[in-house]
Amino acid sequence: MAELAGVFAASHAPLIARDWHLFDEPLRAKLTAPYRRLGARLRAARPDIVVEIAPDHWSNFFLNNLPSVCIGIGATHLGPPEPFMAGFGHTTLAGEPQFATHLLESALAGGFEPSVSHRLALDHGFCIPLWRMERDPLPPIVPIVINSLEPPMPTIARCIAWGNLLASAIASFPGSARIAVVASGGLSHSIGEPTMGAIDESFDAGCIRAFEAGGERAVVDYLDRTLPAAGNGSHEVRNWVAAHAAAGSRGFELIEYAAIPEVYVGCAWAAWNPAA
Amino acid sequence: MKRTDYVLSQLFFDLQSVAAATAYRADRAAVLDRYALDPDIRAAVLADDVATLAPLVNPYLLRYYCSAAGMPEAVFLEKIRG
Repeated sequence: MAELAGVFAASHAPLIARDWHLFDEPLRAKLTAPYRRLGARLRAARPDIVVEIAPDHWSNFFLNNLPSVCIGIGATHLGPPEPFMAGFGHTTLAGEPQFATHLLESALAGGFEPSVSHRLALDHGFCIPLWRMERDPLPPIVPIVINSLEPPMPTIARCIAWGNLLASAIASFPGSARIAVVASGGLSHSIGEPTMGAIDESFDAGCIRAFEAGGERAVVDYLDRTLPAAGNGSHEVRNWVAAHAAAGSRGFELIEYAAIPEVYVGCAWAAWNPAA
Repeated sequence: MKRTDYVLSQLFFDLQSVAAATAYRADRAAVLDRYALDPDIRAAVLADDVATLAPLVNPYLLRYYCSAAGMPEAVFLEKIRG
């Protein structure tokens, strides 16, 4: 059966691409170093497939069709549609339909009803971590979109359940593939609302403590209590919650945290050790 | 749930395309004619009245729109922060 090769998480922000040419060297280094460290961890995990969990920033879905969860099962995904992502250099990314379909079937058998896409566009939320982790060549990607953009959104408890389902699907996938999970998004940020630019470092520290401590209930309780007031972008922590559960909820290693007002985000990078 | 204006949201969503944003900056009224906006909302769009528009759309779409319309980020921040 397949093996869970590692579970990772990283923040993203469009300004990391759009305004990169405006950043001074210390700021570039502050962003580059943790992505590189995470990239080295991912490389060391030797994944054959990467399941990436990220939000959709109005690239694929609109108010006429807004899934809570969507799995990309195509052999090919489109690269990021945003012009500021042109430097990423990938207009398409390889998918992995066999595992994606197995995940979909596992979900349906397990009482989950995700939306399905045969051709997702992977926007900056998916591609900035892949780009900045300097993965070349890119591994085949199985994308999972969890809605963290427009209410109503899946509950934190449901994101835990999705992570557990993902772990189960990996464990039951025939063959010997090594499958890594990468969550993209968070931690605190506020976009397009009156608190835009605010970074809630207290919220971020609480998230980190909860993920480090491990377990499911404490993560759910903390986020149910704090997330509604932490800024709209903070809802992307749902992806970290799913990753946490996929890793067995056994606690993570924080690689770096930095509140970076130049990109409006409380940025964090982390790795779970599923074998711990 | 908040009151969402679907047509306004559709306009903002559509203007994510570079071609559509370029056409919009060249002639706002011509593009707005294709959307059945409430007259008060259309006036708010033409006046860059961010405070009126903000409660009606997703905040990410609002930010995308203001950028597509050519509003500098500093001006948007000033308007959204009130």
